[in-house]
Amino acid sequence: MRPSSWRQFVAILRKDIVMELRTFEMLTSMTLYTLLTMVIYQIAFTAAGGGLDVRLVTPGLIWVAFVFTSMLGLNRSFVHEKDQGVIEAILLSPIDRPVIFLAKAAGNLLFLTIVEAVTIPVFVFLFVLSRGGLGGPAWMLVVALFGASVGMAGVGTLLATISVNTKGRDFILALMFMPLMYPLLTAAVQATSIAILGGVDAVPAFWRWMAWVGGYDAIMVLAAYGLYEFVIGA
Amino acid sequence: MTYALLALGGLLTTAAFVMAFTYAPVALLDDGMRPDISFQIFYFHVPVAEASFLVFAVAAVYCVRFLLKKDRILDTKARIAMEVTLLFVILTMVTGDLWTRARWNVWWEWEPRLTTYFLMTLLVIGYFVVRNSVDDEERRATYAAVFGSLAFLSAPISFTITRVMNNVGNHPVVFGGNAGLGTTPQALVTFIIAQVGMLALAYSIFQLRMREERASERLEVVKISLGG
Repeated sequence: MRPSSWRQFVAILRKDIVMELRTFEMLTSMTLYTLLTMVIYQIAFTAAGGGLDVRLVTPGLIWVAFVFTSMLGLNRSFVHEKDQGVIEAILLSPIDRPVIFLAKAAGNLLFLTIVEAVTIPVFVFLFVLSRGGLGGPAWMLVVALFGASVGMAGVGTLLATISVNTKGRDFILALMFMPLMYPLLTAAVQATSIAILGGVDAVPAFWRWMAWVGGYDAIMVLAAYGLYEFVIGA
Repeated sequence: MTYALLALGGLLTTAAFVMAFTYAPVALLDDGMRPDISFQIFYFHVPVAEASFLVFAVAAVYCVRFLLKKDRILDTKARIAMEVTLLFVILTMVTGDLWTRARWNVWWEWEPRLTTYFLMTLLVIGYFVVRNSVDDEERRATYAAVFGSLAFLSAPISFTITRVMNNVGNHPVVFGGNAGLGTTPQALVTFIIAQVGMLALAYSIFQLRMREERASERLEVVKISLGG
């Protein structure tokens, strides 16, 4: 008897988590990479002098760091599979193709969220607290980060499956990922900006941008879900 | 037939070009006195841009149809359509930039239409980079088709964004928008001639490239049969 879709989903997701827990390779490199990016930002802030209101640019910088670190993680999560023949093994087993997409996307979302959960407090501590603190409630930051991460993990999983089979690998991923992420990032940066700066009409403005994020997530994750079967089978 | 269309396209676009300076009305600058001659590029820029969106849509349709049917000829058609898209996109960028410099006095402005169109350009170029990065023929076709259909989602965004965010000082919306051009019959006639000409050009370039592609494929077959 074939295992149910849910058990297939859990099996793949657990494989990814167990693999990660044995080495912590992806989480440590992604987290460290994000922290190092912040140090590089500090160089730019120092060069700009004291006149710059850092809080105005932090939302964009947060997302720049996460886009790059997510590409790092996405690429990692499939290079292993490819080099050790895991994809072939999964394809040989009686697992539904859409389930593979959902499980891999869930794994990538999980790792990305963990990295965000570790680095965002550091980011706020380093750049926001000493300069007036968070203007909006903290839940806004959480919602904005998670909402945009869903789209990043969903589309990223599809694109990483493509790029791992190309000659360019991480180059090709960057080239496909960044322009397709643009609409999501614009809205995510605006929402994050409201969360950091606050303001009078913060809540309705925040949800307006989150509606963009949600719309993008729905359309693009569905598209990625539908297209995944062609990619994984090719 | 294809050559006739090519000639017609050349003739109509040239006619529209001449008409833009002799027959079509000239818009006025903001002060309402001096003529704004820079706007005559509209009769070239808008038809090229509309054609680029349309050819991109055709390319995306071929991408989706390839995924459903797995027919090699559909992949070739998608690729050729994407080539034509790239040509028209580049022409749009160049003519648009000339106007931006003349009217806004800057070479580039990060306003919604320019930004989204620029991203669309990068996605179209990316399509070819993805293609060149895969060796296996069937896999290349599939990946290109998947990426091509995803990339097309940027086109409706770029097309509608000037209507969604219709602010003064942004990219003009000529029909039913903020350009303040006032569509007189003369302007409309010139525009339609240019648009029909541009579409005829796009279609005939596509057909000619397909003809070339089929010929080179036949050549390969002949080569193999002679060699083997």
